[in-house]
Amino acid sequence: MQAIKDNHQWLMALAVVLAMPLLIDSGSLASEVLIYALAVLGCNLLLGFTGLLSFGQGIFFGVGSYTLGNLLVRLDLPLAAALPLTVLAGVVSAVLVGWLAIRQRNVYFALLTLAMAQMFYFLAYTMTDLTGGDNGLLGVPRPPLSILGVELLSLESPWQFYRFVALCFLVAFWLLQRVTTSVFGRTLLAIRDNEARAAAVGYDVHGLKLAVFALSGGVTALAGGLLAMMAGIAPLSSIEYHSSEMILVMTIIGGTSNLFASLLGAGFYVLSADWLSFIWPRWLLLLGVLLMLVSLYMQRGLWGVLESLWRLLRGRRGAAPDATQPEQRP
Amino acid sequence: MNVYLLQVVNGIGIGMLYFLLAVGMSIIFGLLRFVNFAHGAFYLLGAYFCYQAIEWGLDFWLALAIVPLAVGFVGWALERAVLRHVYDKAHEFHILLTVGLALIIQEGVIMVWGPIGENVAPPDVLKGVVMWGAFIYPKYRLFVILFTAVIAAGLWWLLEGTRLGSAVRAGSESTDMVSLLGLNVTQIFSLTFGLGVATAALAGVLAAPIRGAEPFMGLEALGIAFVVVVVGGMGRFSGALVGGLLIGIVQSLMSTLWPQGAQLMIYVAMGAVLLLRPHGLLGRG
Amino acid sequence: MTATPVRPILRAQGIVKRFGKFTAVQDVNLSVAPNTIHSVIGPNGAGKTTLFHTLTGTLPATAGTIEFDGVDVTALADHQRVRHGIARSFQVTSLFPSLDVRENLRLAVQGVHRLAAADGWLPPTGPRARRELVDEILERMGLTRVGGLPAGTLSHGQQRRLEVGMALAARPKAIFLDEPTSGMGVDDIGGMKALIHGLRGDHTVVLIEHNMGIVMDISDTITVMQQGRVLVEGKPEDIRNDARVRTAYLGNMITGGAA
Repeated sequence: MQAIKDNHQWLMALAVVLAMPLLIDSGSLASEVLIYALAVLGCNLLLGFTGLLSFGQGIFFGVGSYTLGNLLVRLDLPLAAALPLTVLAGVVSAVLVGWLAIRQRNVYFALLTLAMAQMFYFLAYTMTDLTGGDNGLLGVPRPPLSILGVELLSLESPWQFYRFVALCFLVAFWLLQRVTTSVFGRTLLAIRDNEARAAAVGYDVHGLKLAVFALSGGVTALAGGLLAMMAGIAPLSSIEYHSSEMILVMTIIGGTSNLFASLLGAGFYVLSADWLSFIWPRWLLLLGVLLMLVSLYMQRGLWGVLESLWRLLRGRRGAAPDATQPEQRP
Repeated sequence: MNVYLLQVVNGIGIGMLYFLLAVGMSIIFGLLRFVNFAHGAFYLLGAYFCYQAIEWGLDFWLALAIVPLAVGFVGWALERAVLRHVYDKAHEFHILLTVGLALIIQEGVIMVWGPIGENVAPPDVLKGVVMWGAFIYPKYRLFVILFTAVIAAGLWWLLEGTRLGSAVRAGSESTDMVSLLGLNVTQIFSLTFGLGVATAALAGVLAAPIRGAEPFMGLEALGIAFVVVVVGGMGRFSGALVGGLLIGIVQSLMSTLWPQGAQLMIYVAMGAVLLLRPHGLLGRG
Repeated sequence: MTATPVRPILRAQGIVKRFGKFTAVQDVNLSVAPNTIHSVIGPNGAGKTTLFHTLTGTLPATAGTIEFDGVDVTALADHQRVRHGIARSFQVTSLFPSLDVRENLRLAVQGVHRLAAADGWLPPTGPRARRELVDEILERMGLTRVGGLPAGTLSHGQQRRLEVGMALAARPKAIFLDEPTSGMGVDDIGGMKALIHGLRGDHTVVLIEHNMGIVMDISDTITVMQQGRVLVEGKPEDIRNDARVRTAYLGNMITGGAA
């Protein structure tokens, strides 16, 4: 029973992963939800758990896309090797960006990440050999997952690809759940609450922030790589300011108090975008309205709304689970 | 005519527009401690309202006077009705709120005027070029430089020489003190926001005959505004002026020397300032 | 008590702290004997808190050296000095408001250990919960009842006690308390005074306090600061009668008080 309680977030995520093929027609769309959910998890690690508002997530997303694209196209590496290397590229780029950005705090930190995001965008724009510039890196293949020449999983059809993305997502989610509930994860919360106090009590705040940046970068790069495989192209847009902005928006809409909320935020945005843009090309206007509503009335995001509904239905039975508050242990 | 001199003069012209764009954001941040991600959207509105006013047969000069006031009024109303409710919340909600607002405005513009963009002609009296010996320069751009200089002087007088201005400057140091002095802080906030937004719209009106009105100019303007405000120093009039001119001139020169690098350079400058002198070149150290 | 000279546990020499053109602390020397209560007093703006910041490593000193328990800690940041046995409380309450009181203390207990926070796998249960020490401090600070509440919801007095508790959690050799009783009600102050006095056995206490009732009654040594410099230093009786100190304080707050 305790095991279920400890892992309830992951189990909810599993439920969603299993439910999507039943509720959604398009395997690509379902994959997109999970891909962006990974990116939002990366952003939430920084924002919800450490209190770092980063406008630079697009950098790691783009790095992921371009790295995987280049490894598959240029170097023809097998997927089982290319994917971990992509995550590594994300980690390295995040450590670089983080190392510079954490020299400042609050608004200045956020603006630094914004400036760096713009710099990377223009770098990507001009380094056309590596990135394909405006056109993006074309012809990213979708090789089957194989080890030592033995094919394990074909990724050809959209739903086959979805299985793979779901696997990556669930593994990543589980790892992140472990990390956020660990001693390290709890220390991040302390940093979020009061950096000065955390330092005064003995924590190497810089080092810890770098560590969470590394995690965030790795997860986000994984997402970017998966997107490149899904779309067949590593586009310039994934490293654009808009991309960073939207990842941040999805994070806040979903709610920053736990990991599952990140899946909610990504799912909501991706599905709304798909559904609404079909009906009305100016659907972003509705998103704008929603953003304003969330800032004014629903700061706990979609998760908060669901939580309130749940409590209403259950008749207020004590505090609802919140991963960023330590649970009361007997 | 020396191409570099031309670019420097262009740079001054652009720089003055950048100043107008940034000074509003700088003052809003200085006083309200609020990062306005919708700032570019008000610049956008200025350009489009100008276009529409002219379509309706209004004089450019009339549009120049009315549009900033109209947009400023919208800003003032928004601050009172909506924005002030998030001041006490975490920063990410300031940002989210204004990002949402910016989206609404941008999409609204596309809905009304279409996604393509429109041309705005400068008034007849400012068409053509000025010739002064070897110096040949478009009349309208010269007008922009002179006009924004006058506005800058006016703003400076407003900030340094009037009660409202003193209250704004004092409030940037401490809002508690200002309210203790008996001034109505909430009113000052609203007026300040309206003023900040009006200057952005004015920049939009002035920019329209140069580059037309186009739905994504708001995003571009937002990026520039951030760079100028950071480089010059947040919350400082002089910072916005120096920052604007600096960025404008650098950008102009770079566009002849290394076009692709121009955009990169300004963000590198922003990053460098944030790392080395976060309060900006002219900010309080 | 014998008069054998004891090596000071803290020896700060020539401490200077400048902020741009403003010099907050100018050429301060401070020697603190182990297992004593050493108070730093002075009018507002004397530089007491800034001095604290340089001693605990919260801010780097512009010049000067600091030796703690035989180790030169001048170049170490605050989180590094914690490991050498220095812990502090803050003048303005600085806790982890959204986390509960137990968690605040657990984090403080854990923080002393060098790579404790690097555990990204195991949750803070079992031995990592540090129950015993946390319970002990809760008991000592009278906070057992509110252990499960978010620190931000505590009353001011309770928060001030938790502030001190956070410093104790590090089992430090020297505790730096910055105005621990600030804003506290009369009832709470008595308890805090007794508590600080009781720390002497196991710890060295360096104390900034405005409450002269406490300072005069429990201090072993008092350093008086004014405008960034040390004005005079000595035992409570000496300070009480010192003319310079009276002038500095405009004479009316240093006579000590009841209990």
